[in-house]
Formats: sequence, C-alpha cells, structure tokens
Amino acid sequence: MSDKIKIKFTVNGDSEEREAVVGETLLKFIRDELNLTGTKSGCEIGECGACTVLLDGKPVNSCLVLAVELDGKELLTIEGLSKNGELDRLQQAFIDHAAFQCGYCTPGMIMAARSLLERNPNPNDSEINKALSGNLCRCGAYQEIRDAVKDSASK
Amino acid sequence: MKMLSYDYVKCTGLSEAVDILAKEEQAYPYAGGTDLMVGMRGGKFAPKKLVDVKDLPELNVFEENDQGIIIGAAITLNQIACDDSIVKNIPILAEGSHSVGGYTIRNRATLAGNICNASPAADTAAPLYTLEALINIAGPDGNRSLPVEEFFTGPGQTALKKGELVQSIVIPRPFPAGKGVYSKASRTGSVDLATVGVAVQNWGEHVKIAVGAVAATPVRALSVEKAINEKGEKSSAEAAKLVHNDIAPITDIRGSREYRYHMVEVLVRRGLEQTMGV
Repeated sequence: MSDKIKIKFTVNGDSEEREAVVGETLLKFIRDELNLTGTKSGCEIGECGACTVLLDGKPVNSCLVLAVELDGKELLTIEGLSKNGELDRLQQAFIDHAAFQCGYCTPGMIMAARSLLERNPNPNDSEINKALSGNLCRCGAYQEIRDAVKDSASK
Repeated sequence: MKMLSYDYVKCTGLSEAVDILAKEEQAYPYAGGTDLMVGMRGGKFAPKKLVDVKDLPELNVFEENDQGIIIGAAITLNQIACDDSIVKNIPILAEGSHSVGGYTIRNRATLAGNICNASPAADTAAPLYTLEALINIAGPDGNRSLPVEEFFTGPGQTALKKGELVQSIVIPRPFPAGKGVYSKASRTGSVDLATVGVAVQNWGEHVKIAVGAVAATPVRALSVEKAINEKGEKSSAEAAKLVHNDIAPITDIRGSREYRYHMVEVLVRRGLEQTMGV
C-alpha cells in the first residue's frame, strides 16, 4: 500500500502541488520531496523538537504529522525566514550570541522561538524556557539561546 | 525513517467515521496523532487505516451551555489551556492540559486523545476525575455517555467498543466553587510524563482528589476525601497519609514504587494546603 494523494499547499510563500505518499510523515516529505533539509530529523517521537516547522502559523513536530495533512495548508520552514539572502532578525541573533555548537537543534529552536515571539513579543526568561521546553539542545547552549531570543525581541 | 503502510481517509461526517471504524479491521481514529504516530512507530499500534477526524464539525464543538463546557474531541490541549472560561472557572483543567508535553505537542494533541490513550499518567485525567467529567461517545449503536472514572479500564484500555469514538468531553455545571490545583512530579523540570500526578479540587463544601501514575488507571483518593469530607480531619499531613490506601504503584523507568508512595503523599498534602487552607 503505497497510495499517493495529490495535495496543494504553500511552502515558504510558494504555491505547490505534489503527490504525498500515504503513511509518509511531513518531516520526510519536507526533506526528501521538497528537498528542504534545514528541517532536521531527531528523535522522531516528538520529544526533541529538531523537526519543528510552522503549519498554518503554529509550531508542530513534523515527525508526528502526516504529509497528506499538508493539503490546503501553509508551511513555513527555516528556509523561509531569510529574504533576498538576508537572514532574519532571529537567525542573526543566534549567530551574534553563538547560540549553538553543533547546530542540529537550531532550525527547530528558531521556528519554535519565532512562534513564541509572534504570540508574545517581549517574553521573559521563564516564558522562553516554557515555549522552548519541547526543543532539546544536546550541546547545552540554552543560556545563549535565551539571550538570542531576548535580544531579537528587543530590536 | 521507516515507512509505515496503511490507508488514510479524511472523513467529512461523524457517521461516516463511525461507519468505517465499525466495519473495518484495525481502523483507528486520528486527530492530533501525537500518541498514535509514536505508538505506530514503536509497534504498539498497527493500523490498517487511519480515519482522520480532526476536521469533523461535531468534534470541533467548544462551547459553554446550560449543561457545562463541551469540549469536542478535536479540540487541542493548547486551545483548552488558553481558553478564558476554562482558565477562569476550572483552572485545574487548564493546568492539567498545560502539563502535557511542550507547546508544540499541545498544538496537535487533544484532550480526547489524552484520555483515549489511557495512560495511567495522563495529565488531564486526574483533573477530569475531580470535575466529574462526562465522556460523550458516538458509535454504531448510537450515542452514550460515561463518567470519566468508568472510561478508564486499565493501562491503555478504555470502555470504548469496536466502532466507537469519543465525540466530546463535558465539564458539567455547577463548576467548582473553590480552588483546584494539579501538580506533578517528573524527572525533569521541562517535558516529561508524570512520575506522580495529583489533582485536588475544593468544591466549597467538600474536596475531590484524584491521583495519576500510581495505579493501573488514574484513581480517586477516596480515603483522603472521606477523612476530610466526612470525619472532619483538619490536618492535611494526616489526611495525605491515607492516600496510601487508595493506590498500587509500580516501579518503572520514571520512579520506584517507594518513591511514588512518598511523592503522592507529599503532593496530596501540598494540594490540600493550597486549596483547602488546612
């Protein structure tokens, strides 16, 4: 059973029409079909947050969403943040604060933080901790990540 | 990444969903998917068909009426945790909902899914027990309604029969007059399942207490309730000790049996102090 379903959606602002394999996760679809490999595959059970993307503006673990559910929806991945080769404010803040070492958690971390800043433009430490509690950083750059989010919020 | 093999159907009506669930083998209702997808990958569930019910209008009801607050089965935990009426009238349910996973998980995970997964550690279960929530079930033989305490029948086991699915959860009126708290002990300060979860709800004239992850299902701490409600026990420390009569914890990866005995007593005592002022 590898049925395919035709789906229409927008990804990072562009309209797309593709076929999605039933049973395939959104994560796999993003990486292997859309070739957007900024979204990372980590635990694949919704615990690490490396695969976080925004679906209709809300952060979701793309490893726990079916690709066919993308139909009619708007998808934003880490590749959709920069404009004309310029990083967005939050991405730049992560660089300015060295908010990563290996960088594997960074795309998911930035997508979750972006969603937080849309809900709450001036979060305090505790609010940042809570909003990013589903995103794990194995290098332990949490302090720098918090600093980057706050710095980005203050600009 | 292992590809899973099954059919997928997005239903447009509740009767269509019930029909498929009743007639087809290994058909599972699919809403948030946060437990189902994980379980499928781990081999716990092997569906032949996923029946996507998350956009069914019947399951997206979220309203307050004469009966109480009706929470459709597709309503997410974030919708509940952020809802003004729930935060104001029944904060214990907002706390329980907010305790599940991280923000991203709660954007998908539903209250109905949390109870249908029937983990003894389900964070929303203990609050629902103290609120005497009702579970509205749709099925091939019509609709029925069950108190939440009868819905849980064992670890991962519910009272749902073949073809049935939860349509909504009702928090009945009157809402509790007093304060309620849900507190949980877990291995980390951030996202983890409860090692012990305790809901204490002051109803004005009496208290209701439910505990999770210390028995095969969430359970009411009836011994503690009886001491306070009927025998007039004033000491929260003395009352909390009685919770040991109501539970049968096991040792697992999240904590030992002994630790759970200890922590559940601590959390019941603190819950009583916070809600009853005793």
